[in-house]
Amino acid sequence: MHGRGVLALACLTCLACLTSLTWPVDAARNGSIRGRVDLRRAAPPVERRPGVSELGAAAARDVTDRFRSVVYLETAPRGAFETTEGGRAVMDQHNETFVPHVLAITTGTTVDFPNSDKFYHNVFSLSKAAKFDLGRYAAGRSRPVRFDRPGIVRVFCEIHSHMNAFILVFSHPFFAMTDSDGHYRIENVPPGAYNVVAWNEGTSSEPKPVVVPDGGIAELDFTLR
Amino acid sequence: MMRAGAALLVVGLLGAPSADAQPPSPSASASPGANRDTSDGVRLPSEPLAFAGGHVTIGADVSASFGGSDAGFFNYTDYDHSALRTFRIDVSGAVNAGAHLALLAEIRTENVGEVVPYALYVRFRPWADRNFDIQAGRVPPTFGAFARRTYASDNPLIGYPLAYQYLTALRPDAMAATADEQLSKQSLGWLLRYSVGSSSIDHGVPLVSAFRWDTGVQAHTGSRNGLVNATASVTTGTLSNPLFHDDNSGQQLAGRVEVRPVAGLIVGTSAARGPFVSDALARVATDGEGRAEDFTQTAWGADLEYSRGYYLVRLESIVSAWRLPAVSAPFMDLPLHAVSTSVEGRYKLTPALYAAARLDHLGFSDLVGTQTTAPWDAPVTRLEIGGGYSIQRNLVMKVSVQRNTRDGGRLKRRATLGAAQLVYWF
Repeated sequence: MHGRGVLALACLTCLACLTSLTWPVDAARNGSIRGRVDLRRAAPPVERRPGVSELGAAAARDVTDRFRSVVYLETAPRGAFETTEGGRAVMDQHNETFVPHVLAITTGTTVDFPNSDKFYHNVFSLSKAAKFDLGRYAAGRSRPVRFDRPGIVRVFCEIHSHMNAFILVFSHPFFAMTDSDGHYRIENVPPGAYNVVAWNEGTSSEPKPVVVPDGGIAELDFTLR
Repeated sequence: MMRAGAALLVVGLLGAPSADAQPPSPSASASPGANRDTSDGVRLPSEPLAFAGGHVTIGADVSASFGGSDAGFFNYTDYDHSALRTFRIDVSGAVNAGAHLALLAEIRTENVGEVVPYALYVRFRPWADRNFDIQAGRVPPTFGAFARRTYASDNPLIGYPLAYQYLTALRPDAMAATADEQLSKQSLGWLLRYSVGSSSIDHGVPLVSAFRWDTGVQAHTGSRNGLVNATASVTTGTLSNPLFHDDNSGQQLAGRVEVRPVAGLIVGTSAARGPFVSDALARVATDGEGRAEDFTQTAWGADLEYSRGYYLVRLESIVSAWRLPAVSAPFMDLPLHAVSTSVEGRYKLTPALYAAARLDHLGFSDLVGTQTTAPWDAPVTRLEIGGGYSIQRNLVMKVSVQRNTRDGGRLKRRATLGAAQLVYWF
């Protein structure tokens, strides 16, 4: 009996050790980072080319939203890369404008590019993170692109040179888009020290250090341009 | 002075502030070992320069073409350059003064030579919410499809369609006295002298000049759904010979109707008619009895474009008739006709690479001379095959090979010409 008792205790000890390697007995609670990105000066919209050879004035187009920024962790916590799951996102083409103008996604995400205009568009990118050309397709049609490499992807229309958009592809989920007032909140960040960057229309801030407390909220503001 | 201006233009362009000068955030790829994307961080402008809150925009097209020696003058343009050996800078600008009024201009220089005002006009939109515009000044061509997309960035190949570039043996200021003299000028459109009218040696004219725009007033309208567009214009010169200062007392009338029945399909038809011969030539050729208005160029055109997926096909056919004074026997059979047909295709092989081809023929009506009956100019056929590679979105390297064949004339009748072109625009 004594021998069996020792064996059972040894097994329990081993099990406890294994469990502690996988799940901490006293697991840290994730926190979040929030703040505001203050844009001193919005990036100017891309204007049409002068169109001197046109027989008449071009139709009015939608104004792109250039006030929304992306805030992200420059380095991600260990294990973050195994947790990214590619989902699905949409970048519409409406009134000669990509909507949204900026999209932030994780690797593995498939983005649909529907054409909501009456005429052709031809979405393409020559960026290193994603080279693609969807060809010309008409209203009501949509074509998808899966983004597997992290980086910045600049998206254009071959037919309408003023149409452009950004897709920021991250290999971790710790990023957030600001709202129209510049507020952001990155959720579910494991406690620890990080460097955070804010990006807007090709301009990025210097990395700012921040410490996310256990189950708490870290505040961090940025100023761009 | 003009050369200095062109040089300044080059320097200005190279030193222009970049609208996209700030490289994109390299660390957006926020992961260890992530790909740092700097492909779009080039410091050349990639978008039009905008000032005054977007009311003033400036764009440019720069192209440098390096081609073989064109001893047969198949590619010479009315700028006296080979289209295959040209360094061209186009700078265009628009000043938008509200919803009703805009001023548009374009200046051009070839081979860092004279700076030419290619376009300069006012666009007036009487009703802001209606698709109706009036343009006055040196306006875009109403006729045809290709004349408004002659920029290297719009042309999938390096050469131009024959109808818009090939110099025929016709001049507005000089002409042959007889059918025999006209027949002797076959293939010499790049440089010729005639016995009637101006005694200078000069080049002939193409069916439609793609390198000069006419001066006058143009009205354009379109249906709200974009199905039909129509344009009409009254201008000083003719398709072959666009002018800033009138050289005869007549005006050219031109019209174009364009229909877009389904996405990707554009069907157009155009017509134009105007006095071609200068007053001076009309007086000399008719002993003062003829009027320049009687000696016209009349042209009809039909064009079609269809694109879908990765391919684009264009067809264009133009018929032109020139009515000239009858001077001496053997008289020319008038009017002199020319017919051009062009078929062009482009296919995208990869996001950065495309292949393109154009087959082109330019034919002329027959003249009966003392010794022979032959076309009044030597018919030309051109096949051009090539492609382009986008180094970046607005920087394209093109290569092409042309096979030119001319059926008659004293000049070289066949030429295979290779060319490369670097195109940059913003």
